[in-house]
Amino acid sequence: MSLPFAADATQVHLTSQTRVVAAVIAIFFMLLILELIRRDRLQERYSVIWFVAGLGMLAGAAFPGLLELVADLMGVRDTNVALFSIVLLLLLGLALNFSVIMSRQAAQITRLAQERAIEKARAQAAEAHNGNGSSGEQPLEPEEERLQG
Amino acid sequence: MRTLVFIPAWNEEASVAAVIADVRRELPRTDILVVDDGSIDATTARARECGVLVATLPFNQGLGAALQTGYLYALREGYDFCAHLDADGQHPPAEVARLLAEVEADRADLVIGSRYRDPDAEASADDYRPTLSRRIGTGVFRFFLTLATRQRFTDTTSGMRAANRRVMSLFSENYSPDFAEIESLQLAVREGLRVEEVPVRMLERAGGSSFLTPLRSAFFIFKGVVVLLVGQFRPRRHAEAER
Repeated sequence: MSLPFAADATQVHLTSQTRVVAAVIAIFFMLLILELIRRDRLQERYSVIWFVAGLGMLAGAAFPGLLELVADLMGVRDTNVALFSIVLLLLLGLALNFSVIMSRQAAQITRLAQERAIEKARAQAAEAHNGNGSSGEQPLEPEEERLQG
Repeated sequence: MRTLVFIPAWNEEASVAAVIADVRRELPRTDILVVDDGSIDATTARARECGVLVATLPFNQGLGAALQTGYLYALREGYDFCAHLDADGQHPPAEVARLLAEVEADRADLVIGSRYRDPDAEASADDYRPTLSRRIGTGVFRFFLTLATRQRFTDTTSGMRAANRRVMSLFSENYSPDFAEIESLQLAVREGLRVEEVPVRMLERAGGSSFLTPLRSAFFIFKGVVVLLVGQFRPRRHAEAER
């Protein structure tokens, strides 16, 4: 009844057709990433994760044994189901990664807005101080922002 | 000793000038800064006409970010104390003076003006009266914040506060843009700062309307509880070491 690996009985393999389709998609995907970088539409630092995903896809297509091993470990009989689960998890991770990046950038934008507002108020103060003098060109303290990192 | 009073304002062109005039009358020796949180009306223009400093955020960032701008300005410009009050006329500046007196006497680092005033003080017609959803929210926040900080707070969302430089340096670094009031109290207590509540008189708002509808209130309360829960597990920062 209870099997250590549920997949033992009748394993469903990837057909060679799926493998070819997957390999072609993976190659096109990686070419697209390269092209986006080349056109400055995607920054390198955000491309690594996508490139790794593409390579993983290609590896899965080239060595189906790898995928079957993972399916076995997950206790999934159908290799395709294992594949979908992995991809789903990967996408979940990516989405989370982007939320983290977004939060950081939101904090940076807020600080930027605050810095600008403060500079304007300072300029106004300097102007009032000089009795509507020449300009509000007051040297601002070099406040290195602690938002980075 | 220099003191800054800052007034966060978002689309408050109707009331901001009157509030500034009140602050000038009641707190003549303080500098005034209006933080315009990306208003689409003439808030900045009204405030400038009054001759006070105005820090205008280029787009609406939320109350927390506006307040943080004020704390940051006070810190950078070397003010010893700062206080803030709402721009809608609910907060009488005379009461702000009482909050400032507490921090100036070094009895507390952060002083909150509580609208739930002394029960024995006599009521007047224009006093603040909370709505039902406001009362529920207040009860929930009060309970959880007291649980989290082991200190009794009655008015957790009060926007009338006075602070010293310790608080400025903490809040200019860490101030949640989404859930400013409650989280900041929790943070200050966790960092070992002395937080005190002083009962004050608050008025019904002079202009504008509250943003709280029942559904929003429910969401607001839910969010607040989650924020408090998460806040309990945040790493402590530096303020404690400074004392």
